[in-house]
Amino acid sequence: MGLEQIAAAFAAARNQNRAALMPYYTLGYPDALTAIAVLQAIAAAGADLIELGIPFSDPLADGPTIQRSTQIALEQGITVAGCLALTDRLRRAGVSQPMLLMGYVNPILAYGPTRFAADAAAAGADGLIIPDLPLEEADEIAAACAAHGLALVYLAAPTTADERLAWLAAATTGFLYLVSVTGVTGVRAGLPADLAAFIGRARRVARTPLAVGFGIATPAQAHAVSQLADGVIVGSALINAVTNATEPVAAAHALVRDLRAAVSRPSISHFGASRV
Amino acid sequence: MQRVKVKICGITTLQDALAALDAGADLLGFNFYPPSPRYIAPATCAELVRTLRAHGARAVMVGVFVNRPPAEVAAVLDECGLDLAQLSGDEPAEDLALLGTRAFKALRPQDADQAVALAAAYARRAAAPVLLADAAAGAGRFGGTGQVGDWAAAAALAAAWPILLAGGLRPDNVAAAIAAVHPWGVDVASGVESAPGRKDPEKMRAFVTAANGQNSYLTADASRFTSDVSRFTPHPSRLPTKFGAFGGQFVPETLMPALAELETAYLACREDTAFQAELGELLRTYVGRPTPLTHARRLTAHAAGAQIYLKREDLAHSGAHKINNALGQALLAKRLGKRRVIAETGAGQHGVATATACALLGLECVVYMGTVDMARQQPNVQRMRLLGATVQPVDSGTRTLKDAVNEAIRDWVTNVRDTHYLLGSALGPHPYPTIVRDFQAVIGAEARMQIMAQAGRLPDVCMACVGGGSNAIGLFHAFRNDPGVRLLGVEAGGAGIASGRHAARFADVRLGRPGVLHGTYTYVLQDADGQIAATHSISAGLDYAAVGPEHAWLRQIGRAEYTVATDDEALTAFQLLARTEGILPALESAHAVAAAMRLAPTLGGDQVILVNLSGRGDKDLDTVLKTLDGKPTWD
Repeated sequence: MGLEQIAAAFAAARNQNRAALMPYYTLGYPDALTAIAVLQAIAAAGADLIELGIPFSDPLADGPTIQRSTQIALEQGITVAGCLALTDRLRRAGVSQPMLLMGYVNPILAYGPTRFAADAAAAGADGLIIPDLPLEEADEIAAACAAHGLALVYLAAPTTADERLAWLAAATTGFLYLVSVTGVTGVRAGLPADLAAFIGRARRVARTPLAVGFGIATPAQAHAVSQLADGVIVGSALINAVTNATEPVAAAHALVRDLRAAVSRPSISHFGASRV
Repeated sequence: MQRVKVKICGITTLQDALAALDAGADLLGFNFYPPSPRYIAPATCAELVRTLRAHGARAVMVGVFVNRPPAEVAAVLDECGLDLAQLSGDEPAEDLALLGTRAFKALRPQDADQAVALAAAYARRAAAPVLLADAAAGAGRFGGTGQVGDWAAAAALAAAWPILLAGGLRPDNVAAAIAAVHPWGVDVASGVESAPGRKDPEKMRAFVTAANGQNSYLTADASRFTSDVSRFTPHPSRLPTKFGAFGGQFVPETLMPALAELETAYLACREDTAFQAELGELLRTYVGRPTPLTHARRLTAHAAGAQIYLKREDLAHSGAHKINNALGQALLAKRLGKRRVIAETGAGQHGVATATACALLGLECVVYMGTVDMARQQPNVQRMRLLGATVQPVDSGTRTLKDAVNEAIRDWVTNVRDTHYLLGSALGPHPYPTIVRDFQAVIGAEARMQIMAQAGRLPDVCMACVGGGSNAIGLFHAFRNDPGVRLLGVEAGGAGIASGRHAARFADVRLGRPGVLHGTYTYVLQDADGQIAATHSISAGLDYAAVGPEHAWLRQIGRAEYTVATDDEALTAFQLLARTEGILPALESAHAVAAAMRLAPTLGGDQVILVNLSGRGDKDLDTVLKTLDGKPTWD
């Protein structure tokens, strides 16, 4: 479990000559039962890893779509313990992909970092992503994760200078989460022009796979990113698909299926054939 | 593989420090243990470190302490501008916890087994150095014996953590020590001296050369303690990031470089006489500083107790103390080359101050404001617009100050390259609590001189309302080293603590617990699940779920106390001050007046209370009149 599962998921995708697809979905949105059904559909449609959002009242790294989903989930009564219970339920329902819990630091502190890491591992989670926890503040939570075999994934941004990027790349476990844009989560029309250069900078210092998130919505965008990175993270687009659909589960399944088809790379033999 | 770091310890003079840096030292150690021949007084050290920093010294500065309370250690680190504390006595592991990432422990293990056992208790930092391994010493001896340590024991530690190796190291044995132990760095004091306490430049150079000739293959787990990326390489932080355990930088990674850039620029401005002169000129000729100190005689008579003096920040341009910080930071923004300024506001006072400063300095200004606050503070919304600012309504969450800060941070994350976030209180991620405090410290600096001139003595109590706490910390700062002066902050008691409708982070022991909001670790009103609680106060400026981290620290170490005043008490004080002194205070400031009216009768007529009257009340007339429904309650 944990680090090995995550490494294996990236390795399996790489062996199929494609990037790993990592959908994000807010636990408890629009209610606990629908969230479970949507997440099972996401798993069945070909997600390689799954990011599970723990709602927080003040999600300052998130744009309007995810903010709204977490607010509704909180109004429905979701708690941190409830999120762990849903994670456990997904495992029991046969979801086999690595699952990473994405949550802000305060609810984790309130729960108790050590207890949280223990309970998250017991519930079947493989790692944590905490967007407002830079490396400087991570001592206690990093120790708790290490003790329970969980990955603690750090984020790097386009504003991160090379020296710091090397530092983050060396400290992260599981993979390095590259924030594609200077900004919050949310659907955008195009990919930033400097993305390739940013991924290139990260690649030079990386010891783990690189996954790119923020602003990736369409299969075309996912395809473009998959040519550069080891993993592609899609969140807001999936929330939008669920919100706008009369059949949320089917809509989530369809989007993930399309995204998964889009993250493959042209095969070497294909290149070879076309050259001949 | 990396170059082994060298720490030269026991620096006592500027000459020795410069020679050590010249020789190539990566860390300098200052010994605060009085019996040591290398003892340096904190005041001397502070001056020395300031001089070194002014010369551009990038070395990591370490204070060495023996069995001092954590509060004192933190205070000395702050005073001296040191990066780290080395605890060399018999300190318990809890002391390290209290100091967070700012301290590491020196161990003197007898053997490898004991080394590992000790390290299990004391290895807390995730960045190098995690520990220092010294030679074993008898009871009551705290290292510096010049004896060579047990390298096998040290090697056991170095296998798991990046350590500093100490104990009897000299130019002629340091290479062998590195080969045997593979430490992250080496520590030397007597081995590079010509006499106890006197550093020898030649020996220091020889030591560093010998150490640098060795490459240490760190065997410690590379995923956690990275060999080639120590904490020091990215951004040597030159201001402490925390007040004890409080403060820090809990923000998205995108903002970390901007915070480092802000700290660098701020430090440069703090030392820059041209910047200080420009700000001082504006404070005098534009803001109207110094603001007066008023002896409130009729209010004093009404309370029938201590003499009450009011520091009149209500008379500062734009109506509150907020302008002190807004102008300082707006000048800083220009230095950073940022043309666009964003801010959050609750009551609108900080928004108005920011809009004012931006108009004066020709900067684009966007102010985020919750729609609930916009409705209750319409006059300030109009003022900001007249001053040329864009008021951006925030309709998410509770639609008040908390959500305005969220939205301002989201804007900053998006536009960080050309935008300065002009945060309005002593809150948020480091370095904001320090910057805002420093710009507001003019309040206390003036008040201290004024009270000495007018009352001929220091006050017995300094009082101020505390939302984020910038006016309070601005007043308290000048009196922090006056042990006879009580520092008393006043939180918003709202409809009463028991009602749950308040903004009293300290007074409500159920909802008010340490946590993280808006980038800082401090006391936060939150539910059991860590969701931020909704707050209430009649004054929008106090209506916020977190308190500035320095207040949390001052309270924890017992230097400051905190009490509450309710909405009703504030309203009564508002009317009282109007009728006895002819002053309409801001409802925020009325909280401090209310608490002063409770306290004054318990003190003698020869005692002095200094109240910070942080702002004027024009903005609150609507709220006050509506609440009183035309029937004053004071009579």
